[in-house]
Amino acid sequence: MCELIENQIERYETMLREMWTESAKYLGTFSVNLLVERVVWELSQEYKEIELLQYGQDGITCAGLAAGLNKNPDLPVDDMFVKFIIRYLEILARLLGHEKTEKIAKRLNEEFGRIPFDSKEE
Amino acid sequence: MDKLQTGIKNLDHILDGGIPVYSLNIVSGSPGSGKTIFVQNIIFNTARNGLKSLYLTTISESQFKMVRHLQEFEFFSDDFLGDKVVYEDLGTVLRKQGADKGLEYLTQMIKKHLPDIVIIDSFKAIRDFFSDEKAFKAFVFDLAAALSIWEVTVFLVGEYKEQELTLLGEFAVADGIFHLYGQEEKRFQKRYLRILKMRGANFEQGEHLFQISHMGIEVYPRMRPEGEKLQYEVRSVRKGFGITRLDEMLCGGLTEGTITLISGGTGTGKTALALKFLLEGAEKGEKGLFLSFEEPAAQLQVVARHLGWEIDRYLAEGRLDIKFISPIELDVDKHAFEILDMVREKNVERFVIDSISSFESSVSDIQKYKDYLWAIGQQLKRRHITTIFTALNEEPFSPIVVTKAQISLMTDNIIILRYVEDGSNIKKVLGILKARGSNHDKALREYEIAPDGINILGKLDRADMLR
Repeated sequence: MCELIENQIERYETMLREMWTESAKYLGTFSVNLLVERVVWELSQEYKEIELLQYGQDGITCAGLAAGLNKNPDLPVDDMFVKFIIRYLEILARLLGHEKTEKIAKRLNEEFGRIPFDSKEE
Repeated sequence: MDKLQTGIKNLDHILDGGIPVYSLNIVSGSPGSGKTIFVQNIIFNTARNGLKSLYLTTISESQFKMVRHLQEFEFFSDDFLGDKVVYEDLGTVLRKQGADKGLEYLTQMIKKHLPDIVIIDSFKAIRDFFSDEKAFKAFVFDLAAALSIWEVTVFLVGEYKEQELTLLGEFAVADGIFHLYGQEEKRFQKRYLRILKMRGANFEQGEHLFQISHMGIEVYPRMRPEGEKLQYEVRSVRKGFGITRLDEMLCGGLTEGTITLISGGTGTGKTALALKFLLEGAEKGEKGLFLSFEEPAAQLQVVARHLGWEIDRYLAEGRLDIKFISPIELDVDKHAFEILDMVREKNVERFVIDSISSFESSVSDIQKYKDYLWAIGQQLKRRHITTIFTALNEEPFSPIVVTKAQISLMTDNIIILRYVEDGSNIKKVLGILKARGSNHDKALREYEIAPDGINILGKLDRADMLR
């Protein structure tokens, strides 16, 4: 796997951890993992590889996913992660409310650049 | 907060628009209290709005029996089965694979059907699959968390007794609790519903009557006087009876938007006088409603015709409506709500209840009767409807007792009709005891009910006629 993809995945992993930690403040780790499980299941219809995402009481990691990418270097990593994050935030907005989700999205945007998410668009 | 509209008559009104979406609700009650019909009614109503429900049965009722029974209701439709209403069996999984697999199966079913609503019936039966309360509690918490993530509104149905509602673990995680129960009253077997909890929503507390008929469930919200001070605009418009001397005694008539009590012994003409008030309104183009608990419409028409009043024309033109509810069928919980519905729908300006004594006799709890009447009175005053309540005075020769339940306190005007003895004759006299905020004739006057109507005669000037 080339260094560029490695860096990409590393960046998304940091972003997912941030998102996981921020939402755990509101929902607790148990519910956050259930939410991740739901989004993984939904996205797996399009990207089977997302099932390699590991998550549990200690947080979320892309190590398994990165290893899996060796078999499929052409996977559109950006599209998969962006869809994951948007889907996650959309559900969160409905469950938690738009205001709090916007706060989490804003924090992600500040640190990682623009996430094309608007909770009120739905 | 988005609400799930149940579509059950008056339930959404009690819930201030509906049940908050994604909430977890418990529907409790003893066997036969109507729990299953309650949730089935909701899921078929919501199916009509495009929502999908997943109904998981445990060991409560066989699927075959349940569907056969449901076909009796108008809300049921085969067209929704398998599409908007999906039945699955959770009980078999729990029995064969154990409680641990139950949650997994539930998640699988949600992934498969992607429902908006999930029902588990009976949830209480699931308790039997757990060795101890602690393990069940952990299951309930996991279940609640798992279901909330899938954006489903949940109904857990169970045969819980009232005293269990504060003790068992499942009630701690519930956002909403609906408790259904029955109660025997004087003449009717009644069903009641109480909302004990509804997080994130305003709801009307207290006991609400509900009925199960072929149409499904219909709720009759509890009526009670409002806590805040009644504020309403006092108008100076007078509403007459069209009986010249009586209107003069009232300085032009009853003040618009007030409540008048006509109290009198049997045969004194309370009904005729109240009816005349509505006929006079109809003549002036004001819509009137006569709610009779004593005489059917046909009988009232005969009385009016006998007195030379044009009742048939007003009825035909829709300026007057007579609604008769047999005193045997009178159920104050239900009818108090329906009365106000009728008044609203028909844009009534003059309204009569004949008599509140029949209303009173249908309620075992006198406080409840007072509450209902106060609530009705408040609503009528807010709407500036000029109202007459008639009341039977069981002592026709005594004006002292107006009503037993002190209803006179809530009325603005009181007219008494009573008998007096004059030698070997019995005469009828009329007096105005009270006319709030208005001057009135203080004299007792003789009156007669003759073929040309009601005539007010001279003053009663012999005190020895009164006892």
